[in-house]
Amino acid sequence: MSAARTTRRLRAGLAAVAAVASLGACSGVRGDSGAVTPPGEVKAHPVTWLLSRPADGATITVMKQIAADYAKNHPGFELNLITTPDRPSYIQKFETLAAANKLPEFFDTDATPFAQKLASQGRMLDVSKLLRSYGIYDDYRPIALNYQRFDDGRLYTIPFEYQAEYFFYNKALFAKAGVTVPRTLNDLPATCTALRKAGITPIALDGQDQWPLERYAAYPAFRAAGPSYITKLKYDDASLADPPGQATVTWLAALGKAGCFQSGFSATGYADAQNLFTSGKAAIYNIGTWELPSLATSKLDPKVRQDVDFFTLPNNPGSPTADNEFVAPSGIGMAVNSLTFDPLVRDFLQLALTRYPSLYAATGALSPTTNVTTTIPKDATPLYRKALDQAARVGPQLVMPWDTQLDPTSNTRLQQDLVLLVQGDQSAGSFTQKIDRTIAQNAPKKPGK
Amino acid sequence: MTTTIAPARTSSVDAPPPPAPSAQHRRSPARIVSRVLVVLIAMVQVYPLLWLFVTSVRPERDFASGNPFGIPGSITWDNYARAFDQGHLGQNILNSLIVTAGAIALIVVLGMMGAYALQVLGFRGSRAVRALFLLGIVVPVQIALVPLFIDYSRVGLLDTYPSMIIPLAAFALPMSIYLFSSFFEYIPRETYEAASMDGAGPYRIFARITLPLSLNTVVTVVMVNAIFIWNDFIFANTFVLSEGRKTIPLGLQNYIGAMGKVDWTATFAAVCVTVTPLLLVFLVLNRAMIYGLESGANKG
Amino acid sequence: MLPYRSRLSVAVFLVPPLALYAVAVLLPIGQSLFLSLFSWDGITDSQFVGLDNYRHLLTDGVFWRAFANSLGYLVICLVLQLGGALAIACLLTSIRRWREVFKVLYLLPAVISTVAIAFLFARIYSVEPEGLLNGVLGAVGLDALQRPWLSDVSTVLAAVSAPEGWRFVGLYTIIVYAALLAVPRDLQEAAALDGANAWQIFWRIRFPYIRPVWITTTIMATTYALRGFDIPYLLTGGGPGQSSELVTTYMYKTAFTSTNYGYASTISVFIVVECLVAVGLILLVLRREKTA
Repeated sequence: MSAARTTRRLRAGLAAVAAVASLGACSGVRGDSGAVTPPGEVKAHPVTWLLSRPADGATITVMKQIAADYAKNHPGFELNLITTPDRPSYIQKFETLAAANKLPEFFDTDATPFAQKLASQGRMLDVSKLLRSYGIYDDYRPIALNYQRFDDGRLYTIPFEYQAEYFFYNKALFAKAGVTVPRTLNDLPATCTALRKAGITPIALDGQDQWPLERYAAYPAFRAAGPSYITKLKYDDASLADPPGQATVTWLAALGKAGCFQSGFSATGYADAQNLFTSGKAAIYNIGTWELPSLATSKLDPKVRQDVDFFTLPNNPGSPTADNEFVAPSGIGMAVNSLTFDPLVRDFLQLALTRYPSLYAATGALSPTTNVTTTIPKDATPLYRKALDQAARVGPQLVMPWDTQLDPTSNTRLQQDLVLLVQGDQSAGSFTQKIDRTIAQNAPKKPGK
Repeated sequence: MTTTIAPARTSSVDAPPPPAPSAQHRRSPARIVSRVLVVLIAMVQVYPLLWLFVTSVRPERDFASGNPFGIPGSITWDNYARAFDQGHLGQNILNSLIVTAGAIALIVVLGMMGAYALQVLGFRGSRAVRALFLLGIVVPVQIALVPLFIDYSRVGLLDTYPSMIIPLAAFALPMSIYLFSSFFEYIPRETYEAASMDGAGPYRIFARITLPLSLNTVVTVVMVNAIFIWNDFIFANTFVLSEGRKTIPLGLQNYIGAMGKVDWTATFAAVCVTVTPLLLVFLVLNRAMIYGLESGANKG
Repeated sequence: MLPYRSRLSVAVFLVPPLALYAVAVLLPIGQSLFLSLFSWDGITDSQFVGLDNYRHLLTDGVFWRAFANSLGYLVICLVLQLGGALAIACLLTSIRRWREVFKVLYLLPAVISTVAIAFLFARIYSVEPEGLLNGVLGAVGLDALQRPWLSDVSTVLAAVSAPEGWRFVGLYTIIVYAALLAVPRDLQEAAALDGANAWQIFWRIRFPYIRPVWITTTIMATTYALRGFDIPYLLTGGGPGQSSELVTTYMYKTAFTSTNYGYASTISVFIVVECLVAVGLILLVLRREKTA
């Protein structure tokens, strides 16, 4: 073990003791988040990435390959990937590690209020400076970077993917019910009613994982007021009782009344919801391009294969947002720990980020950068290319998923009560009141206030 | 808790079951009803295990689009191949074995020692110590998560086998001490007094008398705790960080993919693989375990 | 007490278990008590807030909802586990053959991990695709009772409690069954000769005889039910709304989702007190019945 590493460990250990003994009374772990070129030589040592991505997914496969190549030239180097794909378990692990001052060299996080606190303590590296110092900043899609930014525009996490979220639908079922693609967002409840009448489940929803329903909550407010509404709401500078908030509340209640989602949706898991759609029982399924390998593939059940198409988030007349602006996330981002950043970490990351886009795009996925072309898999249906082309034309205003924006307590409350609202177990008025009260009690202080 | 000692010291539970008390009318409707009920309940208890197994050999698409409770159209072992492919089942089972064995050893040895000190040796203030241990039967394990995580990170115990073994053993210790204490009460005073007269000290008495006599209670303690520890999720999920230390319940989580997507049939195959070791032990040792449960709790 | 024991020998036997217990159980309880007086998110400086967390507890609607749910969960588990155990144990004593086999079969669910049990019951309660429960109801013509069990606010609490009850009913059955076998036969026969019916024999002779075992099993079942966590957490995560939120799941989320460690510790302290009160009540009630 090198001396630098020993010192670092010692420092982290002491910090943990201090943090705990005094219950965090000034932990003294203020790193310099600006130092993107640490002095010294590259000395190989193991590096750890705490991440929340599927164990056999493309990101992990590609990074393992890059790390193995790097280790050949740097004996002693090793990239340990600790993945917890299940997001709630991951967040628990991540937050406890942060509390114990045990975060590794790299860790995944969304631009949450919690991450913002870590960044303002100087525990995360300024990624825009880092990417610029590598000379690859301009390779990234601006919206892929924007998705990772905090509200004040600062960038502390690196995107490893780029996705667009669509409403996949079954053309045959639409024809059977005599409906067409909804022209406006406000038409969706009527579409559901018609589908229900024809005995078809209108929308398959993974209610168990909470975030899919929360996406629906974000849509009307975004169409009504653009992306700024949620950034105000989360600091309690806007209210759910305001017009954009009420657009969401009444729309969701209408969706519930029209029976849009399958019965018992709140306990339906991801795979079951998708099966409802791919087996031709449900007509609409709102999901991102990460599911293209299972939705636009010749492996799909032949009964529905040719009937699958998609439409993008419908707009409303008079909206300040454009038709081509919808949810296009660049996934959970990777933060670089500024306390453990050394020449080796810098060197490895430079190589990894430079090589990653082409290897990643070869797997059929969309790179967060624009300098490579995605390889369409051999068994893909034409829908695959259509979806990728659409994703390249997304407008600049982003629908930020609310679960990455709100403080965790308000978010939990919102997720739970959304189900009650849609099921009709809670009135729109009482829903609005409860959520507003919860946000008022738990909203984070605006940075700098 | 001393009031909970069963008065029936004379009737031994391992004696052949006596004829049922209401056996006057062998073919009475009541008897038929009770037989039917006994079988029905057994079906309710066993069916889920069967279903787990059937699902684990069901083709993926059959499960997704068909009725998951129907009889599968065809049988496949692909799910098992995927289960072994995607996860680290062998490593997970090994880790679970290490953690379970370590925790059980602590529970048995320390439980016996504690009970010996409290029940056989006795000392002033033993009632207070006993009460202190009883507290541990009552408090839920969740309260220890945050403090232990902080403590572990201070002493460098995170992501090690002891980080799981210590709390698992400590929270099971009170019940173990309780079961051993109630058993030790049944070793007649005279046995100890005779040994003492012969000049045996507390260590020799422990090794020669108490230990050999308590083997049945050991089996009870082992089996009851093995079930809980083998399946522990909460400590492992909090304290384990690396792939190489994941126990079975955490390993099962590897089948949850991005955004919550689960490969169900592979997951059920993995569940079947991981249930098997415990199930085999249980089927082999069930007599000892049931006997232990009966005598342990009834003497307790 | 042994005549030859020395202080040293007591210490040799007592200190190791006590040390382990102190480190992993008592110390965290103490730390929780301490933390409950602070406001701490784990990464920024903690603040001493005195009894503020306790004051918040009193007015926290979600917490009290969770507390009420926990009591409901407790009652359902106790009825299923203890009531079920007593009924099944009585049934077992009334059959002659295969008793040992049935005991093994009854105990089987205790072997399956809670993760697998949660997967399984999610299937059983499902409505789209139709799960086992709704399928059976449909098959016997009770279509009116079909519902999304885990999404209906009026059934979800019972639905998340039942698996826990089902899982351990075999364990308690075996304990109660052994106690029933230990009831002296001559007492029961004498009562039968005196003209007592089966019901009277049960309540006058058998039940008083197994009361001590009953107290033990009641305490076991109660404390386990108050610790209940895995299955509700995995099945519904407390939803829909707060309909199946338990105090334990709420505490867990407060600590690990909201990173409000101080308030979570306050809830922990409440859980410890709640369990102590429950055990005290059980001892009080069941012992009083004995002396009455």
